[in-house]
Amino acid sequence: MARDYDHLFKLLIIGDSGVGKSSLLLRFSDNTFTGSYITTIGVDFKIKTVNIDGQKVKLQIWDTAGQERFRTITSTYYRGTHGVVIVYDVTNGETFANVKRWLHEIDQNCDVVNRVLVGNKNDTPDRKVVLTEDAQRFADTMNIRLFETSAKDNINVEEMFMAITKLVLKSKLEMKELHNAQNDVVNLREKKKSGKKSKCC
Amino acid sequence: MLSIQQDVYNIVQAKFLAAEIVKSIHLNVSVVDGPLENNNRILTLVEYNKSFALFVLVSSRVQPISFSDLSIESVIPLDQNFSFETEPVRGQNYVILIIRYKQNRYEFKIEIGKESCNFAAEIIHAKEVSLNSSTNFTWLEKYFGTMNQTNKNSNSSINDQNDFVIIRDGMAQGQASINRESMLKYQLKLREPEFTQKQEFTIFVGTWNVNGQPPTASLKSWLSCVETPPDLYAIGFQEIDLSKEAFIFNDTPREAEWQKSVMDGIHPNAKYRLVALSRLVGMQLAVIVNNQHYQYVKNVSMDTVGTGLLGKMGNKGGVAVRLELHNTSLCFVNCHLAAHVDEFERRNQDYKDINARMNFRRNPQAIKDHEQVYWLGDLNYRITDLTNLQVKTLLQRNEVTTLLRSDQLNQQRERGNVLLDYVEGDIAFHPTYKFDLNSDIYDTSEKARPPAWTDRILWRGKGIHQVHYKSHMELKISDHKPVSALFKSEISVVDQNRYRRVHEDLLKKMDKHENEFLPQVTVDQNEVVFNSVKFREPQSREIIIANTGVVPADFEFINKLNESTYCKDWLRIVPYCGSINPGEKCDVRLEVNLETDLDNIDDILILHLKGGKDMFITVSGSCQKSCFTQSLSTLVRIQVPIMHSKKEDFNSARNNQSPILYSVPRELWLLVDHLYRHGLKTRDLFESSALHEELIRIRDWLDYGSQDPLPGTPQAVAETLVLLLSYIKEPVIPFELQDVCIAAASNFQNCRQLLIQKLNDIHRTTFIYICMFLQELVKHSNDNGYEPKTLASLFGDILLRDQIRNAKPQASRGKANFVYNFLVNDLSSSLIPK
Repeated sequence: MARDYDHLFKLLIIGDSGVGKSSLLLRFSDNTFTGSYITTIGVDFKIKTVNIDGQKVKLQIWDTAGQERFRTITSTYYRGTHGVVIVYDVTNGETFANVKRWLHEIDQNCDVVNRVLVGNKNDTPDRKVVLTEDAQRFADTMNIRLFETSAKDNINVEEMFMAITKLVLKSKLEMKELHNAQNDVVNLREKKKSGKKSKCC
Repeated sequence: MLSIQQDVYNIVQAKFLAAEIVKSIHLNVSVVDGPLENNNRILTLVEYNKSFALFVLVSSRVQPISFSDLSIESVIPLDQNFSFETEPVRGQNYVILIIRYKQNRYEFKIEIGKESCNFAAEIIHAKEVSLNSSTNFTWLEKYFGTMNQTNKNSNSSINDQNDFVIIRDGMAQGQASINRESMLKYQLKLREPEFTQKQEFTIFVGTWNVNGQPPTASLKSWLSCVETPPDLYAIGFQEIDLSKEAFIFNDTPREAEWQKSVMDGIHPNAKYRLVALSRLVGMQLAVIVNNQHYQYVKNVSMDTVGTGLLGKMGNKGGVAVRLELHNTSLCFVNCHLAAHVDEFERRNQDYKDINARMNFRRNPQAIKDHEQVYWLGDLNYRITDLTNLQVKTLLQRNEVTTLLRSDQLNQQRERGNVLLDYVEGDIAFHPTYKFDLNSDIYDTSEKARPPAWTDRILWRGKGIHQVHYKSHMELKISDHKPVSALFKSEISVVDQNRYRRVHEDLLKKMDKHENEFLPQVTVDQNEVVFNSVKFREPQSREIIIANTGVVPADFEFINKLNESTYCKDWLRIVPYCGSINPGEKCDVRLEVNLETDLDNIDDILILHLKGGKDMFITVSGSCQKSCFTQSLSTLVRIQVPIMHSKKEDFNSARNNQSPILYSVPRELWLLVDHLYRHGLKTRDLFESSALHEELIRIRDWLDYGSQDPLPGTPQAVAETLVLLLSYIKEPVIPFELQDVCIAAASNFQNCRQLLIQKLNDIHRTTFIYICMFLQELVKHSNDNGYEPKTLASLFGDILLRDQIRNAKPQASRGKANFVYNFLVNDLSSSLIPK
């Protein structure tokens, strides 16, 4: 009853510099927002435990530096990641154009990983330049779920993180089932093959 | 011990190390299903530092005469995976001893007797000790290798899994969360009233000493004596089997028989399920729950404690079951304490032993840590100070209260010697012991034991209300009568919605707590810029790491992926790791020292906090060109001092595109010429080390050019020459040629041929030029003290410099020999290109 958690997952937030990655994390973990902009120079993480259908999922959410010059270093933090949140700024078309590069980055560094696409700063309609329809179309072709959020006004942040967590949890449970099924076959001949290899990244 | 056994014992002990003590052996053991004559096994219990293991030894002779007659067949550690039981074989004088270890099962035939009894007692004791102390079984590793081949397979699973030896590392679970779980438990307990409500459950507790009789009567009149079906039953028996086998091997068919009888006798108006059945020899305790509550019973655990013969055998003692019903922890203890009127102190001690040794191997471990405890059994306390007749007379007059004053249990409890904080309901029934069998008549035998309330039920904990407490005279098959008590007990039942809210709230708080307790530091600058970094002129910058968190921060600069160092070779970080207390700071010095030809320096450092975040610090700067780090082929193409050469001129020189202007580099000529004119007679020319500033002045004089004469003493110039030759991009004798040069060093002609055939003009000319200068020095050896040998060994390591700097020079002697050839032989024309 009092177990700390049932699952432990690592999530990674990536995207161009200034799109609000740290703000999204701060909103989700501490429910706070600060208007002042501090560039993340490095990688930081926070802990957040959520409840998904009665299962307690402990998340270790890593926030990464978005600046181009750190790209090769930050890519090393993809290791062991279960889910990736790719963020762009709906008021900055370039950051949306760069999403493709970030997706490529994921492909380079992860084998199988769950992803969501997030258009942040969706709180000032006048300044919005990346239209929802365009983003949705792109997300559909890439087969990713799209969320438009505002860390500032606390719109859709919780939903987005819960969605990626659910995806990750679902994959894990499916993987387990598959694994069990495979194991039954393997066991007939050899007992020692217990799948210790991590399936992710 | 028999003398034969003593002899064998000594032989067996010789098979082990002195510190590995053979505690007990059992001879003439045979393997079930083995060949007919195979009673050559010796079971051996060995202790090493409080950890026990059972060895199965095979003796090559019927009677071993030396330890070499013995080979080890199996090794079985006595840890939590170990269990053993016995199976009697009807009509035979032996039993089957079954030992289980994980998925392995071993079966042995052993004769019933004193030897088997002792051996079994030792194993019981050993297992108890093993479980109560943290044991380490690494001492067994050496024996797995010695096991004879036939049996290796069955043991290999132990060996492969290895997990009785190696403590597995806990799963990575983020940081600093070690205590989260217990913290959560504790907090939930504190806030329990917020999400629970008290609900009354009926608990029926029964106890009966059945005097070794089989269950021939229905138990309905006892177990179904209440109108509404109880929510939970806890039924304890004593003496269900008094046979020798039951005592020695703790195995009896009566267990199932009595259990069936109980299941048949409980209330017919509800469906029940067995939660746990715990038994030790003749003591048995079943906890049974009404089906509708079954899903709310959790964390069931049981244990038994023997306090009988030798203070540990199971003829007396207690068996217990613990569980959680909804959110309340319950513990039921069925005991059978020491007999005889005078032994009340022994009974008190048994009670204490049961409490001390009962261990549920989970939290809580002990009886006393449960919210509700129900203590039942044949406590065996008698009536003192009254004769049999007096007792019977008082009973006839129904003066139970008077009689109870003479009850030992009441007396001992009043004195605080036993069951101190337990409550017992008023006794309104007559003593339940001792009756003539199949009657309601107190003992008429010769012994004429006075009646006593041996069979009792007590409780401890809040919210327990006893509804009835009575004996059941109808059941006559034993010399005791059964006793029952019905309780209405408050159980805290969780409201799932409210529980979830509290739980989520706590998780949130703990997340916050955990995040706050992550190490936090700030650095005063993430970008460190150096201006115009010059050859061998170190510069440093300081960054300040301040601990802004609430826990000490252990920092370390770590390697980037695929890199073997945490920074580039031109950078030094002091200190590169350390620990900073909250509120304190640490100055870290970044020192740049340029020794290679770079246009810019550029690096990203990863400052890692143990268990926390990583920060990036970029280090950058522009570098100033210097002749010292160029290649010979670049230098001979540059007409003017390097700082005055135009960018495009320099680049084409660097790419070997511009014409060769000098046969040796200008800078080299300037240094050598200066020494030729001013230094030939200087003693220890290459020995003294010049001031750093002096070298920098000479460097700048070379790089910038000047009308002034070359600054510095001959020694400083000589050191500069050595520096130049040591730092130019490729040594005068290139790396790939060094091995053949060293190989040819014994013969001057071969060396000469190598020089002509393999070395390009620039390098060859430079080499000869240096050597000729050194020959000049040798001519003045009277003044400067230099013999060719000394110079050869000095310049061998420079002209044939190793690829890795700052390491101990390789093959110094060979290099010196090579150079020596050119210091003592005529370097005439053929070597110099036309």
